[in-house]
Amino acid sequence: MAISGRFVLLALLGVVPVLMFPEWGTVLLVCLILCGLLVFDLMAAASLRTVSLERSPSGSVTLHMGTDSTFTITNSGRRRLRASVRDAWQPSAGAQNPVQRLDIPSGERRRMTVRLQPTRRGDLKADNVTIRSFGPLGVAARQRTLSCPGSLRVLPPFHSRRHLPSKLRKLRELDGKAAVQIRGAGTEFDSLRDYVRGDDVRSIDWRATARRSAVVVRTWRPERDRRVVIMLDTSRTAAARIEDEPRLDTGIEAALLLAVLAERGGDRVDFFAFDRRVRGRAGSASRGNLLEQLVQAMAPLDAELIELDWSQIPGQVRAVSAHRSMVVLLTALDGGAPEEGLLPMAAQLMQQHVVVVASVRDPMLGEMQEERTTAAHVFRAAAAERALLEREAVANQLRHLGVEVVDAEPHQLPPALADMYIRLKAAGRL
Amino acid sequence: MSLELRGDSSDSPASAAPASEQRVSNLSDTSAPRMADVIRSRLRRHLGFILISLVIIAAMVLTIVTQLSPKEDGAVLSTRNAAPQGGMAAAGILEDHGVAVQQTDTFQSTLSVLDRSADSGDGGTTVLLYDPNGFLEEDRLRELLDSSDRLVVVTPHFQTLRGLGGEIRQAGVAPEALDTVEPGCNAADPQAAGAISTESAFLYAGDNGGWTCYRAAEADGGIYATTEDEQLIVLGSTGIISNDLLDEHGNAALVLRTLGAGGTLVWYLPSPSDISPSDSLPTLNELAPKWVAFLGPWLALVALLSMFWRGRRQGPLVTEPLPVVVKAAETAEGRARLYHDARAVDRASESLRAGTLVRLAKSLRLGADAEPDDVVEAAARKLGRRPETVCETLNGQPRTERQLVHWAQQLQGLEKEVTEQ
Repeated sequence: MAISGRFVLLALLGVVPVLMFPEWGTVLLVCLILCGLLVFDLMAAASLRTVSLERSPSGSVTLHMGTDSTFTITNSGRRRLRASVRDAWQPSAGAQNPVQRLDIPSGERRRMTVRLQPTRRGDLKADNVTIRSFGPLGVAARQRTLSCPGSLRVLPPFHSRRHLPSKLRKLRELDGKAAVQIRGAGTEFDSLRDYVRGDDVRSIDWRATARRSAVVVRTWRPERDRRVVIMLDTSRTAAARIEDEPRLDTGIEAALLLAVLAERGGDRVDFFAFDRRVRGRAGSASRGNLLEQLVQAMAPLDAELIELDWSQIPGQVRAVSAHRSMVVLLTALDGGAPEEGLLPMAAQLMQQHVVVVASVRDPMLGEMQEERTTAAHVFRAAAAERALLEREAVANQLRHLGVEVVDAEPHQLPPALADMYIRLKAAGRL
Repeated sequence: MSLELRGDSSDSPASAAPASEQRVSNLSDTSAPRMADVIRSRLRRHLGFILISLVIIAAMVLTIVTQLSPKEDGAVLSTRNAAPQGGMAAAGILEDHGVAVQQTDTFQSTLSVLDRSADSGDGGTTVLLYDPNGFLEEDRLRELLDSSDRLVVVTPHFQTLRGLGGEIRQAGVAPEALDTVEPGCNAADPQAAGAISTESAFLYAGDNGGWTCYRAAEADGGIYATTEDEQLIVLGSTGIISNDLLDEHGNAALVLRTLGAGGTLVWYLPSPSDISPSDSLPTLNELAPKWVAFLGPWLALVALLSMFWRGRRQGPLVTEPLPVVVKAAETAEGRARLYHDARAVDRASESLRAGTLVRLAKSLRLGADAEPDDVVEAAARKLGRRPETVCETLNGQPRTERQLVHWAQQLQGLEKEVTEQ
């Protein structure tokens, strides 16, 4: 049960007779009239037992983009339903008009559309719909909460998409260059074509030339169908916020850019998110659009407050790709004791694969290290220096093992990782 | 640990779906759920709330009971006052000896107690009246005198005495020099009691016969005065009844004999409510028109209704599962505070020196594993200085925080010079 502002207003107006005839009898009479109105309105309101709800699936939407969630309300009772309906989305779904008034005649149905403006990535939920059925006077309402579960998947925004054209151009240049490149590591035979002036004479295919009247050269192109395996760390270190973004979200951006780039470059991409078990998986092998699969796999990821199990990583990589691959580990370099986990595992992976460790560097440490005006600041600078030195030491140890290290600030990490991929591809190390 | 987590989170999406389906079917299929089940489930859901309410109600009942029960007060000669000025001791002893002592503070209650004891008729009623402020009026005093078998008045005023018939009058104050005074008369009670204290006592004298006992030397009146029929007795001292002096000399004997003559003792201490209402000014309530009394309660009712109107939520609260996000530089800041609290100047200077060396080596392109001496030499060459001065800056050993700040800034300056040139 609920009352409306109208009822409160009526009660306020009731003060007039009470003051004009200040007797307890008047008070009793006015109270009785108010109660009578209340009871009448409640009795005359449409029953909510006969109301049914049906929600249409909301699908998915990119973060910061708007979408609509709709459901239909069917009034199968005998009375007209004058309702105030509230769709209970969780706050981060950003419902713009969660409470709406609907007037549904007996036996009809109406659709209610709620505008959503999500502010967080992940699966957002709405559990209940609460309906208030007002009586004909509009002074009192019956209220009932019906279960009507709805879910909206909010996909990562892929801001680093803006770097894609420039990186693709670089990749194409690489391709074009390779057409006249002499044979070497990282290239494969592409085609035969007629010799034009300026071509390297060393690339003339004499056998083909002998079969034809013209001189024919072989062209080469960068090797295709290499494998890129991206591992995204979702353990406790991913919860760290650097600038305005958790490390996990920066990792997602970097992984998306690299995956799309590698896919365009003709390579096979596999992605998995891991801490102690696989939290999400996507890859070129399965059917469908890779980007779509990736964002769907990444949307519900959250940092878990547990330690990453490094010993399982080689097994996971082997399960994804049995061949030589470029293994990209999106993780943190300063996560406690990397000597115990990251380094031995990287050494093990290096035996078969090309390993790239990509990590976000905190610009805050650099600022702390430069600020040296008071004693407190100098101690902060020393602590920041210590943290930077530890990172540097880990990165150096990794480089000694032959691992490529990409260490960049949050906005720089996706393009830096893409550059690393292009460089490795150009060098034929994939 | 890992297994549990794995089990938990893999189950959650699967288990959520059937649960919600079940709820939907519950709501739609069983339109009339069994009443008993509903009540039981509600009871279970609100168990904590119910328990807390019970505790609060119990506390309120306890408070009300303790507030209503008779408690000590600070009034002079009150039977509930255990202070030196109180009358608790006298009342207690009388009760122990079978006298029903009842303290009253209004005229009406006194009369009703007198009526009741007259009905039961157990050996007469004594009234003790102590009215230092003169609250009682003449007609009331007379009524009191008429309806009691014996009226003992303690230190009455002139007004009070006049109201009681004027047979006893005031006769000054007992001289300070005397400590005790002998009865000096043939009345039964004083004679039996013997000497009593005279501390701050008033003297009274009976005019028409009656006894006047405990006369102070040369004075006209005494501390103990009665009318001829001994129905009215005036005691000129509060001290002899009080807890403080009751056990001295013959005080107790006199008091107990005087007050304990009847089966019931009404201990009457008049209060301001005994002033007859006709004297006081009309209150604000009486001046205000009648409707004012209804305005407040009605507005309160409207306020309650509007609280219900605005406070009733449309549906249950929705929770937001918030992810854990930690500021990444937090660990470095924590370590900085540890350094600062421990005044670890040497540790901090080590870190700063190592960091500077690494960055200098990088900017001088010496490779990751360059020796400090090589870095010093290369930097000195680049700056055109002697290696010793650069070495001195780099190897500074600050002892205090002030030195540390100075040295850290020197290091920064050196670094800036090398990188900018």
